[in-house]
Amino acid sequence: MHRIKLKINGKGFEHEVDSRLLLIHYLREKARLTGTHVGCDTGNCGACTIIFNGKAVKSCMILAVQANGAELTTIEGIAQNGFHPIQESFMDKFAVQCGYCTPGMIMSAHALLLENPDPNETEIREAIEGNLCMCTGYQQIVEAISHAAKKIGRSEKK
Amino acid sequence: MYPNRFEYFAPTSLQEALSLLSIYQDEAKLLAGGQSLLSLMKLRLANPKYLIDLGHIADLNYIRQNGDKIAIGAMTTYAQIKDSELLRKDCPLLVKTASVVGDVQVRNRGTIGGSLSHADPAADMPAAVLASGAELKAVHLNGERWIKAEEFFVTTFTTALAPNEILTEIRAPTLAGHKTIYLKAAPRPTDFAIVGIAACLRLGPNNRCEGIAMGVTGASDKAYRPQALEKALQGEKLDFYTIREAAARVTEGIEVNENIHASSGFRSHLAQVYTARAIQTAMNS
Amino acid sequence: MLKLDEILVTRNWVGKPVRRKEDIRLVKGEAAYVDDLNMDCYQAAILRSPYAHARISRIDLTKAGALKGVVAVLTGQEVARETKPISARAITRPATQYVMAADKVRYVGEPVAAVVAEDRYIAEDALDLIEVEYEPLKPVVTIEDALKPDAPLVFEEAGSNVLMHDKMQHGDIEQAYREADLTLKEKFKVHRYSSTPLEPWAIIANYERASDSFVVWSNDQQHGRSLTNVCNTLGIPIHKLRLIVPDIGGGFGIKLALWPYIVILSLLAKKVSKPVKWIQTRREHLLAGSHAPDANVEIELALKKDGRILGLRITDIQNDGSFVHTAGIYGLIKFATMVGCYGIKATRAELLSIVTNKAPTVQNRGVGKPTMIFALERMVDIAAKRLGLDPSEIRLRNFVKPDQMPHTTPSGEIYESGDYPECLRKALRLVGYEESKKKRDDGRKTGKYIGIGISSGVEPGTSNLGYYYTARGLPEYTGNAEGAIVGIDYDGNVNVILGSVDSGQGHATTTAQVVADMLGISPERVSTANTMDSLISPFLGHSGVYSNKFNDVDLGAVIMATKKVRDKMLKIASHMLGASVAELKLKDGKVCLAKNEEKSVSFREIASLAYKRILLLPEGVEPGLKEIAYYKNPIAKLPNREDFNIQLTHSNSVHVVVVEVDVETGTVNFLRYVIVHDCGNQINPGIVEGMVIGSTVHGIGASLLEEFVYNEEGQLLSTTFMDYLKPTAIGVPKFELGHMESACPYTLLGTKAVGEGGSLPSLAAIANAVEDALSPFGVKVTSLPITPEKVLRAVRETKEI
Repeated sequence: MHRIKLKINGKGFEHEVDSRLLLIHYLREKARLTGTHVGCDTGNCGACTIIFNGKAVKSCMILAVQANGAELTTIEGIAQNGFHPIQESFMDKFAVQCGYCTPGMIMSAHALLLENPDPNETEIREAIEGNLCMCTGYQQIVEAISHAAKKIGRSEKK
Repeated sequence: MYPNRFEYFAPTSLQEALSLLSIYQDEAKLLAGGQSLLSLMKLRLANPKYLIDLGHIADLNYIRQNGDKIAIGAMTTYAQIKDSELLRKDCPLLVKTASVVGDVQVRNRGTIGGSLSHADPAADMPAAVLASGAELKAVHLNGERWIKAEEFFVTTFTTALAPNEILTEIRAPTLAGHKTIYLKAAPRPTDFAIVGIAACLRLGPNNRCEGIAMGVTGASDKAYRPQALEKALQGEKLDFYTIREAAARVTEGIEVNENIHASSGFRSHLAQVYTARAIQTAMNS
Repeated sequence: MLKLDEILVTRNWVGKPVRRKEDIRLVKGEAAYVDDLNMDCYQAAILRSPYAHARISRIDLTKAGALKGVVAVLTGQEVARETKPISARAITRPATQYVMAADKVRYVGEPVAAVVAEDRYIAEDALDLIEVEYEPLKPVVTIEDALKPDAPLVFEEAGSNVLMHDKMQHGDIEQAYREADLTLKEKFKVHRYSSTPLEPWAIIANYERASDSFVVWSNDQQHGRSLTNVCNTLGIPIHKLRLIVPDIGGGFGIKLALWPYIVILSLLAKKVSKPVKWIQTRREHLLAGSHAPDANVEIELALKKDGRILGLRITDIQNDGSFVHTAGIYGLIKFATMVGCYGIKATRAELLSIVTNKAPTVQNRGVGKPTMIFALERMVDIAAKRLGLDPSEIRLRNFVKPDQMPHTTPSGEIYESGDYPECLRKALRLVGYEESKKKRDDGRKTGKYIGIGISSGVEPGTSNLGYYYTARGLPEYTGNAEGAIVGIDYDGNVNVILGSVDSGQGHATTTAQVVADMLGISPERVSTANTMDSLISPFLGHSGVYSNKFNDVDLGAVIMATKKVRDKMLKIASHMLGASVAELKLKDGKVCLAKNEEKSVSFREIASLAYKRILLLPEGVEPGLKEIAYYKNPIAKLPNREDFNIQLTHSNSVHVVVVEVDVETGTVNFLRYVIVHDCGNQINPGIVEGMVIGSTVHGIGASLLEEFVYNEEGQLLSTTFMDYLKPTAIGVPKFELGHMESACPYTLLGTKAVGEGGSLPSLAAIANAVEDALSPFGVKVTSLPITPEKVLRAVRETKEI
């Protein structure tokens, strides 16, 4: 067992964990943050995407012990009150169907817009190529991310 | 899925990591970015008893000029390579290759040292280090040695590293003035390469090939330099037909892989097509 | 049937792209999928057969059971003692299979034992300690293997690997052949694939000792049927099982038959004192979580020289793997709309269901129609080429015309509405057909291989259950129906409980739109339960999310229940306002006098009488303001081999695809993708658009990337998303959509199916485009998927993909 201390969504967490516990299971079962999902075994689906020290990562491909000292943001943490503009845009553009991929997709979009506030369609598609969506065929997700970028850009200009 | 039990160590110095490795040897695995190893462990295809995490060793993550070479710490991520101005200027082949490894999330975690040490025969990075003529620094408790990229890859998941050695640095010559490219055939851009071709050319007047180094991944049990091909083009004037003719030799003497994504015949064919396209694209770059 | 004007009192919401109510929790990560439920659970893991076909000679769980943290184990023998075999829906020969293999395994991945432990990690450790000895038997993998005279039998008692063999003829097929100028015949092969919902199967089972009953939470798409199946298999009365379905992370049919695992989890739960959770891994899902069957389809057209199709004959052989429950049900679904959009007058169909040592099959998105449309629309292209007609022209000559609607097909299917020719013409206009052809022809001169592919398709919805029994007699289910409860709360807001569940379709939103326009309020005031609970929800045996029945019978039930509530409110309001019901109207959450809107009572005031001041209610009016209704589709016919409708609504669409094929690498790239579809009246165009595009991407995956590859030993080689290749955001085209709205006369809102949509014509459209692109090489496409390797081989050697 290992003691880990980390910050998730700005809040401190401390737990004893088994060395083999995956970060995704830590988030879901120990921290009780169930917005981050598991969709595959091999890091191919991106449903478990979170922000780890500022970068989008797949939390199923990281051990909980590796997150000792890290700062994480999950879907629960991107808007404390109300909705983040990306979340708003996903609703506006019908980018959600079953919703299972949505948190991971939004986290990938969030990471993209932090680095590139004005992405073109290809850049958006590249940013989410590690996230599988089985429902939408991606088109409305791409529109939503593009819409969100414009929304954020406008509000920053103000 | 759910990995087997193992004991986890998080050394904070290279010395400490080497000591642990010298104790546990074959029963231990080094954890770098974990993007391949953890997947295998989750499927219980890899079951190390001891896992030594290199993530807490401060001085393995850097990209810096070192004379006429560029030194890259083994724990440098693909994303860092992709975004490095220094590499973009002096060793763009590594930048081009790192940019097409997996997806954003993989590039944010996966490391060059991890990829090379893992020696997946379809990984992208090995082709690039081969074509760029890099040397790899292997460190053990009592010293270090430099291994040429073409001597590093032995076979599937096996490198020239001894069980007590850690790959700590990749040193690539600056290739300003060279024409480079990495092209891969893959079902989807995020996939491992069916074949991946890295090319590094130095062209003289009239497109005469004054220097050529290629790296081929995906085709065989390890990434390799296609020597017959390189020899065939060295000193030649590179035109369409010369390139096409030489490209046929890219898998000469190689036993070509077969899996559900490509038969060996198709893979050989793709290797030839991508070789020719890589050389042509590099020339036009 | 109620008319639209009698149903809707306003037109503010139906037909508008209203934001989805579900999204509020989904975008925040606050959904409640089974694995998210906050319960203290043990976790189960299932040991699966490594062999395709073998006898189990010994199984020993001693070591596994002794592992620290393991609390229970279960073997197949125990299951066989405690439960009844899996029931069959369609097949006509005896075949006995339990939910866990007892003495013989029939596919790689079949459950052979299970363990329950403190957590999943320990449960997986325990699986590694289970000792099983197998005596491998010769596996039967392909259709060809299964049909050999000396083939090993997958189910010995069936006496054959053909579990269903049916022949049907409708219209005068002999005459069609007599009058034909020519006949064309071709064989097509479609591989195994699956829509692989991102959330795998998930079950939590709890055994309540005091009442000797079970509570199960599962992402089951067809709970109405599962309740019966689970209880029959466990041998318990229905009231001993409470089934709860929370949020579902995608279904596409793949979660229609997970009930055998509810049986396993129930048995495990009975052994321990806490709920037991099992979350399927992706590997388990791909290995044994159900596929669409692979199939061989032989198709023959009897044609006139001018391109008119007089007769159609198919022989369809489907490889159903090893799962007796669903075996055989694909054939008749293919048969139902085998004539596609065409006015073909005579058909003959021979349908075979083959059992092999492959994984189970289930009704994956489109259920065989993608295969049928692939074969038919490919064949129409082949005919066009043979007759020197443009692919669009041969289709226009054969389409059912709008003035022929409603049109009854030879077997009795009723195409209720639609303008098929205009749908095609609109698609051709959108793509710029003549320009695209010019671009294609110019490209050929410069070594660019561009192709245009057209495919049309009928998209049926609302299954008339029982059709698959036509091969064997009296059906257990007939028709289709659903239930709903609609109530006005104390405060005048509306509460809806559906009999069905949602797996991504936005049912709560569309329900709210309809109810809002029925009551003259905003959808904000309508809430719909996002959980199905068999203790509360008004379900039927038909209940579930499948066959695009929501727009028809689910909303039908909502409408009928809302109308009951509305009628009661009007009655109470009439009493309160001292006016007759005919003088009243609904407006802004109030009932008012039509002539003097100032004079009104609010829903809240009405509810107050219904729930609290009940002594003020008019004579003969019961307290309460909550109504239940069940609604059945009005045109379903009883199964009858001469004349029966298998599906009860029929949408249609045309896909026009432009691709470029790299003949050196074999890769296919999309240049254009145009879809014109007609699903009748749309309730929420934002949702419809997502369904149309999403389902088309399923077809793209099936056409170009996805394949369950088995080797000769029956081992599945594509068991991860590294090898089973789903489309990603890069590589799918940007879709251009056109809509038509031909109202359906037989659904209350004039709606039709939209969920399977693009998954049907896309396969043929892509194949036709690839064949067109490769026409300079004389390549014919008769199989899927179209992989780069197959393209290259066809271009260079075989001339056939």
